[in-house]
Amino acid sequence: MPETLLMQARAGDRRAFAELVKAHQGSVFSIGLRMLNRRDVAEDLAQDVFLQLYRKLDTIESLQHLGFWLRRVAANLAIDWMRRAPYIATLPLDESADVSAPEADSDPLMSRELTRLLGELAPHPRAVMLLRYQEDRDVAEIAAMLDMPMNTVKSHIKRSLTALRGRMIGAKLIDCEEVP
Amino acid sequence: MNARVVFTLAAVLLAGPSFAQTKGRLNLPEFAALADKASETVTVTLDSNLLGIAARFLSNEDPEQAKAKKLVSSLSGVYVQHFTFETDYAYPKGDIDRVRKQLDAPGWSRIVEARSKKENTNVDVFLLLSGDKVQGLAVIASEPREFTIVNIVGNIDLEQLHDLEGNFSIPKLGIETAKPPASTAAPAKPK
Amino acid sequence: MTELENELRRLLRPVDAPAGFADRVMRSLPEHPKPAAITVLPTPRRSWMQQFGMPTALAASLLAAVLLGQFTAEQRELRAEQRGLEASRELMQALRLTSDKLDIAYQAVQGPPPSDPEENRS
Repeated sequence: MPETLLMQARAGDRRAFAELVKAHQGSVFSIGLRMLNRRDVAEDLAQDVFLQLYRKLDTIESLQHLGFWLRRVAANLAIDWMRRAPYIATLPLDESADVSAPEADSDPLMSRELTRLLGELAPHPRAVMLLRYQEDRDVAEIAAMLDMPMNTVKSHIKRSLTALRGRMIGAKLIDCEEVP
Repeated sequence: MNARVVFTLAAVLLAGPSFAQTKGRLNLPEFAALADKASETVTVTLDSNLLGIAARFLSNEDPEQAKAKKLVSSLSGVYVQHFTFETDYAYPKGDIDRVRKQLDAPGWSRIVEARSKKENTNVDVFLLLSGDKVQGLAVIASEPREFTIVNIVGNIDLEQLHDLEGNFSIPKLGIETAKPPASTAAPAKPK
Repeated sequence: MTELENELRRLLRPVDAPAGFADRVMRSLPEHPKPAAITVLPTPRRSWMQQFGMPTALAASLLAAVLLGQFTAEQRELRAEQRGLEASRELMQALRLTSDKLDIAYQAVQGPPPSDPEENRS
């Protein structure tokens, strides 16, 4: 995506802004969906994020900054919504939510179990795991996005992986030997 | 600091046509016009302030970043220019040769000179030595469609550099911490 | 990278937003971007100013300056944070480029190094 698209959007070109939305809508929506477990709520959150972006566009310095900003705002907004409406965090997995990526060659049972287990993580560790494994962000970036010490980010990742691994072993979805 | 820079400049100017601003720092051309022609550009200019800021964001848990953090703590600058082109020799060789010329200045030793006729690749690795301390590293690599200039300035701890080897796939350069590397000057003729 | 982490990455690839999402976002945008929220008090009448002996316009300016200052400080912090992240990424990129070139030099001089189980780390 050319940097000029951002400049055009900042200058008021709505078509350019629409292109920015299309480029990032998948990631932002997915963060909302996997944090909040509901497609309709996730769409509301994603719309909110892009509305905020429209208002703050003149503060975005580069496409890289844009990516950082969107993920930061989406993750923090989702955490905020989960806090204000804690029932969202405990909603049973919406069968129609289809939170996992369609992947022909993955084990559907494992995918389903992992999805369920991720949904049981508390807001902050869940956000950390999404930023790490969905958005492929490194520890320093996640720490900056969530305003969290890097050691805390690392702790969340380690503990979440340990918990997930333990549950997967218990459900006999992976073997003990896989544990490093 | 100003007096030190002036002294360094005077010493270097007297010695040769190089004009490092800080000991070990090369005067790199900006290559501003090349950015449009290049298909890939990497320009990194990190002085001591930015290095300090960058180091804060490096993770202590990630082994690669942790070692980089340790190495960087005694550096005063990391400067890289890297350009890739779609056609051969779209870059000014003269500018690169002028950078090489700066490395004729006293203190710099070329420890590797690699030429590949087959691939038309030239790579030179230089160290600025003060006793057994490395105060500067320069790498100049050129191929028909790409060139890279690296200049790392500061107290490069040889042990830490040695420690990095194998992590960044930095090859073991045979740099031993107990003694300085062998001089690249021609050996004295036997009598 | 463990099998579990690989599975997580596969599972968590971003999904598509609902059809028509971008259009709905564009429809919800205001006609013109809203200005930054800065509260400015109205300038009082002369008699009110005379009564309290206080330049309310000055107070309004000070309040606006404080709010603007907070807003600016937040933006500055965010920019500093972003610069720091960019600097750390640039640093890692520079060190990796350096190692690439040193590798070439080494191989040209010594031949290919022995295979290293730690190699091919991304």
